[in-house]
Amino acid sequence: MRSPHLLGALAGLAGLAPFGCAQNSMYRWGGYDQALYDHYKNPQKRDEFVAKLSGIIQQAEATGGLVPPGCYAEYGWALYEEGRTAEAVTYFEKESKRWPESRPLMEKLIRNAARAKAPAPAAAAVPATAIEEGKK
Amino acid sequence: MKRLVILAALVAACAPPPKKDYSKLVSSSPRALLVVPVVNKSVDVDAADYFLSTLSVPLAERGYYVFPVNLVKRMLEDDGLSDASLVHGTDPARLCALFGADAVLFVTIEQWTAKFMLLSTQVTVEFNYVLKDGRTGEELWRDHEVGVYASDSGGGGLAGAIAAAIVAKAAPNYMPLARQANARAMAYPGPGFPAGPYRPEYQKDLPAPAAPESPAAAKPAAPAAVQPAAVPKRPDPG
Repeated sequence: MRSPHLLGALAGLAGLAPFGCAQNSMYRWGGYDQALYDHYKNPQKRDEFVAKLSGIIQQAEATGGLVPPGCYAEYGWALYEEGRTAEAVTYFEKESKRWPESRPLMEKLIRNAARAKAPAPAAAAVPATAIEEGKK
Repeated sequence: MKRLVILAALVAACAPPPKKDYSKLVSSSPRALLVVPVVNKSVDVDAADYFLSTLSVPLAERGYYVFPVNLVKRMLEDDGLSDASLVHGTDPARLCALFGADAVLFVTIEQWTAKFMLLSTQVTVEFNYVLKDGRTGEELWRDHEVGVYASDSGGGGLAGAIAAAIVAKAAPNYMPLARQANARAMAYPGPGFPAGPYRPEYQKDLPAPAAPESPAAAKPAAPAAVQPAAVPKRPDPG
């Protein structure tokens, strides 16, 4: 008598673990927290982190599920850190449009991205610096 | 018997929690929450980042905009604030202004430990959560959670299997306990957050007497029952 009861309760609890007490998820997270965790555990596997963020967004968009708050920006930032500035700006804009609360920060990041791009022609004016060469 | 003890501890996570003063949080009514890196008082150096990864989901699910935690962490580092305790010592108003947030959540890990005994392993996590207002810097909300998981290595059955998953000898997995602690801390009604602007029950789930001014609603909103659906059943001890 006791056993099925216990099993049921445990199975239920195991399923609820990520979201607490029986709440339906409002967003399609697609393992965002796990992606962050893995990134902190293995920071050298950066490509995986970036790919996972991209996958989360694609999946949420494709299925009509809501892209969770912060995901566009998180992905945009990852691209920005990779030097993929133009793509980064696209995602900062998406975050800004989807979540008005993020607008001031996204505008700041977009301005920063523009500035990050700006020094390139200036540096090009200087006869080929070894540093710039090294980066390529 | 052992199984029952573990189960009771898990079920307690969903028990109706005590009442709490929400007046400051309600009158501040933040929309956008900043979660800054976690201060870690444990000896496990990885705990802070691991725990940080668990905070966004339950907070956003309460209906708030949550700034992307890794972006925030990296921006703070770029600003010379790579030490979480420095961040926690910074004026909340300044932090919030930097990101455009309405309030900032400071989380501290008090315990993140595994105790290996002869026949069992005990994993303990303990957290303090404090939310501060982005304009006044005033404390709006706080909570404290402890999660303990004990297993005896000889335990069989399903409970034993679950315990084994959490308490693997070499590397105990703290994450389920951490997630459960967050779920308890943020659940509402209870210690957690009333519905934020992205939840349908926003401003309809507030404790009736605490509301200083009836928010926009012309009718006195019925105390909408937003009780968690799961009614915890305690196992019959007979």
